[in-house]
Amino acid sequence: MIYDIVAVILIAAGIVFFLGAAVGLIRFPDFYTRMHAAGKGDTLSSLLVILGFAIHEFRHFDGSGDVIVFLKLLAICAFIMLTSPTSTHALMDAGYEDGIEPVIGEGGENALAETRKTRKKD
Amino acid sequence: MIVPFDIIILIFLVITAVISLRVRDLLSATMILGVYSFLICLLWAEMGAVDVAFTEAAVGAGVSTVFMIATIYHTRRRSSD
Amino acid sequence: MKWFGLIATAFTGILLLSAVGDFARFGDPHSPANAGVGDRPSVSQYYITDTYADTKVPNIVTAVLADYRGYDTMFETVVIFAAGISIFAILRSLGGPVVPVSHPQAIDTSVDGDHQRIIIGTTCRLMIPVIQLFALYVVAHGHHSPGGGFQGGVILGASFILLALAKDLGTALGRFSEKRYLTLGCVGIMIYAGFGLLCQALERNLLDYEILHRIMPATDAVMARSHSMLGVEVGVAFTVTAIMFAIYSNLSSNGRLDHGL
Repeated sequence: MIYDIVAVILIAAGIVFFLGAAVGLIRFPDFYTRMHAAGKGDTLSSLLVILGFAIHEFRHFDGSGDVIVFLKLLAICAFIMLTSPTSTHALMDAGYEDGIEPVIGEGGENALAETRKTRKKD
Repeated sequence: MIVPFDIIILIFLVITAVISLRVRDLLSATMILGVYSFLICLLWAEMGAVDVAFTEAAVGAGVSTVFMIATIYHTRRRSSD
Repeated sequence: MKWFGLIATAFTGILLLSAVGDFARFGDPHSPANAGVGDRPSVSQYYITDTYADTKVPNIVTAVLADYRGYDTMFETVVIFAAGISIFAILRSLGGPVVPVSHPQAIDTSVDGDHQRIIIGTTCRLMIPVIQLFALYVVAHGHHSPGGGFQGGVILGASFILLALAKDLGTALGRFSEKRYLTLGCVGIMIYAGFGLLCQALERNLLDYEILHRIMPATDAVMARSHSMLGVEVGVAFTVTAIMFAIYSNLSSNGRLDHGL
């Protein structure tokens, strides 16, 4: 019973974060902020949802269930934690190399342009 | 086999197929084709053909997308069609 | 021409859709494919009831692919091999002379250096062994769970492609050179065909694995089929791995095998 409640809470929280990622992906103005929303929201929400599934499997841990499924789900969590931020980073870096400019508000300064100048020199 | 789930996936399949044909940017078309592959993988897994779904996920969505990107990189990105 | 294409597509679509009404329902036990015609049992019924007794393989799909319909799978592998070889032949003959593979430079670890190379390189160094281990598991465990030679080979090939994407093509070619992948592709086909010809040498039909228990130690006729399936899957995995990497390395460098994407 307690495992079910924890699992449902985790999965529901994951779905809420997924919604945040999706809304951010649509509503934010430029590439970098969109990737920010998508990368962070996607990583955390998939982690929460899969942890919820793992705990749902953990319910049967008295020997009747399949321990291997629980361990596999935990392994998937570890891999998502490694690969999802890396892919976000790679995508962000590719956009930076491609010369995508961020949207700058009133009175703001474009720090990216400066770093790009120094990086071009290398 | 869950019928409403099937119908949702099939509708998305048709939408992604049409978009991947209509879009001019070949890189976007490749990405949408990857989405198409994952959707059809989901459909097969849900219908019980797990072996086929596994193949589709590995070949269709994984490797063939990389091949297409490698090819587009050496040709033009825009379609003239 | 575009209108002709549209009309042809619409016409074929209408024909196909009109045939949908004649199909049996999904999973219908009384359709001829499942129940058989008259009192003769259908082939799918035979697979479901007798596969485990025949071969001791729980995954029916693998048993059908590698044993009952082994002839199909052998030439599927040959088709993949032929596709890879033709891409290789076209691109290498158009691409000009091969630039010798340069040794990968050491990564600059200072603050101003190549940040993205460090992050991506470290993640790939952690992930690639796991991916390769999983690929081998998929090949070896194809009898009991979904998987088999094709899937495992594709994943193994994808791990080398990941190495080429993360570092450069030269690093990946240093691990899996042109000579090596061509040899591996041929060896895979030879393993598969060798199992078939071995059966013929023992005076049975091509790919009739039962007879192989005579030369395999400590097996009976049933387990010989199971073990031969594993051997055949390993052959398929070799070919698919080699051909996937061959296609990628030639496509991404236009056949010059220099730096890749």
